[in-house]
Amino acid sequence: MALLELEGLTRRFGLLTALDHLSFSVPAGQVVGFLGPNGAGKTTTMRAVFGLTDLDAGTVKWNGTPVGATQRRRFGYMPEERGLYPSMLVGEQLEYLGRLHGMSGADARAASRTWLDRLGVADRYGSKVEALSHGNQQRVQLAAALVHGPELLVLDEPLAGLDPAGIEAIGDVLVEQARSGCCVLLSSHQLDQVEDLCESVTVIDHGRLIVSGRVDDLATAGARRLVVRVEGDREAAWARDLAGVIISEVAAGEARLVINEGIDSDAVLQAAMAAGRVTEFVFQRRRLSEVFREALA
Amino acid sequence: MTSDVGLVAAREMRERFRGRVFRVGSLLMLAAVGAAIVIPTLGHGKAEPQSVGVVGTLSSPRRATVVAAANSAGTGVRFVAEPTESQAYRDLRSGRLDLAIVDGSELVVETPPDGSSTIAQFVQAVAQALGYDQAVDAARLSPAQSAALAGAKPLPLRSLQPGVTKLTTKTAGTTSAVGLVLVFLMLTQYNTWILIGVMEEKSSRVIEVLLAAVRPMRLLTGKVLGIGLVALAQAGAIVVFALALGEGVGSDLLHGTAPVTLLSTLVWLFLGYAFYCWVYAAAGSLVERQDQVQSLAFPLSLPIVFGYIMAITTVASGNASLLFKVLSYLPPTAPFAMPVMVGLGQVNWLEFCASALISIVCTVGVARLATAIYRRAILRTGRRVKLRDVVGLAH
Repeated sequence: MALLELEGLTRRFGLLTALDHLSFSVPAGQVVGFLGPNGAGKTTTMRAVFGLTDLDAGTVKWNGTPVGATQRRRFGYMPEERGLYPSMLVGEQLEYLGRLHGMSGADARAASRTWLDRLGVADRYGSKVEALSHGNQQRVQLAAALVHGPELLVLDEPLAGLDPAGIEAIGDVLVEQARSGCCVLLSSHQLDQVEDLCESVTVIDHGRLIVSGRVDDLATAGARRLVVRVEGDREAAWARDLAGVIISEVAAGEARLVINEGIDSDAVLQAAMAAGRVTEFVFQRRRLSEVFREALA
Repeated sequence: MTSDVGLVAAREMRERFRGRVFRVGSLLMLAAVGAAIVIPTLGHGKAEPQSVGVVGTLSSPRRATVVAAANSAGTGVRFVAEPTESQAYRDLRSGRLDLAIVDGSELVVETPPDGSSTIAQFVQAVAQALGYDQAVDAARLSPAQSAALAGAKPLPLRSLQPGVTKLTTKTAGTTSAVGLVLVFLMLTQYNTWILIGVMEEKSSRVIEVLLAAVRPMRLLTGKVLGIGLVALAQAGAIVVFALALGEGVGSDLLHGTAPVTLLSTLVWLFLGYAFYCWVYAAAGSLVERQDQVQSLAFPLSLPIVFGYIMAITTVASGNASLLFKVLSYLPPTAPFAMPVMVGLGQVNWLEFCASALISIVCTVGVARLATAIYRRAILRTGRRVKLRDVVGLAH
C-alpha cells in the first residue's frame, strides 16, 4: 500500500524554526487531516513534499524511497494561495498542467473535461479563470490537482471560503479518491468539517508533532464527556463546584462537562437533579476541536 | 511525450501570439519599417532632368558625353541654349539652370552643390567626362587609342591579409539606424514580457503548482525559449517584409552592403535577447507587484538605453570612437554597437566573431546565476526580495 513518510523534517528561516524534526506518515486509502494553529508549519511541510522549500534536515519518502522529480509528477498539489493563470482558459490550463505531469494531449483533454464535469463546472471549460467566482475557482484548482490522476494529493486549506454545497462536493471527491487508493493529506482550520471528512489527523505546533492518530481513537480517548441540560440554569452554575468536573463549554443552556477519571457519573446526575429538572444527560465523544485544544494546551 | 521545456515554450508562444499587444506591436513595427523603406524612394520616379545652359557651341559628341554623365549620376539632361554668358548667369541665379557650359570648356554653377546630392554627382561626372574628352583631343589620339583609353580597367588590388576582409566597404548608415530602432524596441518589449510574465506567475501563485511538476531551470528555459521564438518570428517577418517591400519599390536601403548590416542586426538581436532575457527573468522573480516591476525596470533598461544612444550617435557621426569600439565587445551594449560597426565597415569577421563569442560565454554565466536567483526568490512572497538576500546563496 502506498505511503508518504516524513522523517525528521527540519527547516529554519533565520532564527525561526518552522519545522523541528517533524515526522509522521500518510497511508493510502484514507483522508488525513493536517491540523495546527497559524504558523505551526503546515504549509512549509506541504511545500517540502514538493521540494518547494529547502530542508535543513530530514527526508520525504514515497513508498520507502526519497521523493524526487519523477515521483512528484505523480503527486497533486493545491497550494493555500490558489495558483492558476488568471487570464488563461480553464480547459487549456488543466490540459497544460496535465501534460506537464506527463499526460498525452488527448488524455489531458479528456481528463480535464471529466473533472470539470465531476466538480460541477463543466460549462466553464472555455472561460478565463479570472471570470469565475471564488467557489468555482476553488473547484478548478482542485481539478488541476486531480487531472493527472495523482497517487498522492496534498491540499492546503481546500475548504476555505466554500459554501456548504462546495464543501460537500469537494469532500465527496476527496473521500472517493481515498477509497480508490490515493493518499490524501489536507490542512484545514475548519475542524468540524475535518472531523466529518478525515479518518486520521495529525496535529502540529511550532513545527513539532503534537498528536497523530485515527479520529475515532482520539475522540474516545481521554476523559469522558457529558452533556447535561438543567431547566432554569442556563449557565450551569450547579456544576461549578463539583469536584473532578470541568465545564468545557456552555451554550444555549447545554453544559458540556469533562469528567475526571474516578468520578461517578451518578453523583453528577444527582447534583444536576438537585438543581432542577434534568432534560438531557448524555455521554459524548471528544470533538476534534477539543482534541485540538487539549493537544495544544 | 513532449518535453516540459517544449510545453512551457508552446504555452508562452500561444498566449503571446493571442495577445493584443503582440498584434498591435507587430503592425506598428511593420508600418515603421515600411515607412523607412518607402518614403526615401517617393521622389525617385519624378526626378526632374538637369537643366544645362549652353553658351556658345557644344558639339554632338560632347552633348552625348554630358548625357552619359547624367545617366551615370542617375538623372537626365535638358539642354537650354543661352544667347550670352550674362543671360546664363541670370538663369543660374533664378534657378532655371542647374549648370552652364561656356564654350564647351568652362562649367558654372550658382553655388557649390552638396557633396552627396544628385546635382553634385551630376556636375562631378560632367566635369570629369568633359575634362577627359578635352585631354583626349589635346593628345590627338587616334580613335583606336582613344577607345583603348576609355576601356581602361582598374588594377587588381592585393591585400596583405587576404583572409581578413572588412564585412562592408561602405557605410550602410540608414539601414543600421532602422535596425537599431528595431533591436531597441524588440529587446525592450520581449524582456518586459519576461519580467512581467515571471512576476505574474509569482503573484498568482501558479508558480507553486508549476514547480511541483517542473524543475525551475526547465521552467525558466521554456519561458525564455517561447518568448524568444516569438521575438524571432516577429523579427523574421519584419525582415522578409522589408526585403520584399525594398525590392518592390527599388529601395537603396537594402542594396549594396545593407543586407550584411541587416543580417548582423538579426544575429545581435538574438544574442542580445539571449543575454538580457535571463537578467530580466531573475529580476521578475524578485517582485510580485506592478509597482515593484516599474521600479525595477528602470535600472535594468539603463545599459540598453545607453547602448542605443551611443549607437545612434555613432551612426549619425559616421565614425566609431574608441569607447564605442570597446562597447561593441561588452555583452550588454554589443547588440547595439556591433551592428553599427558592421554598417560603418570598421570591423572584420574575426572581430565580429570574437564579440559574439564573448557574449555567448557571458550569457552562459548570466543564465546560471539568474537561474539560481530565480530558484531562491520565486517562492519568497510578501515583500520585494532583496538581491543580496539571494545572491549570496546563489553560488
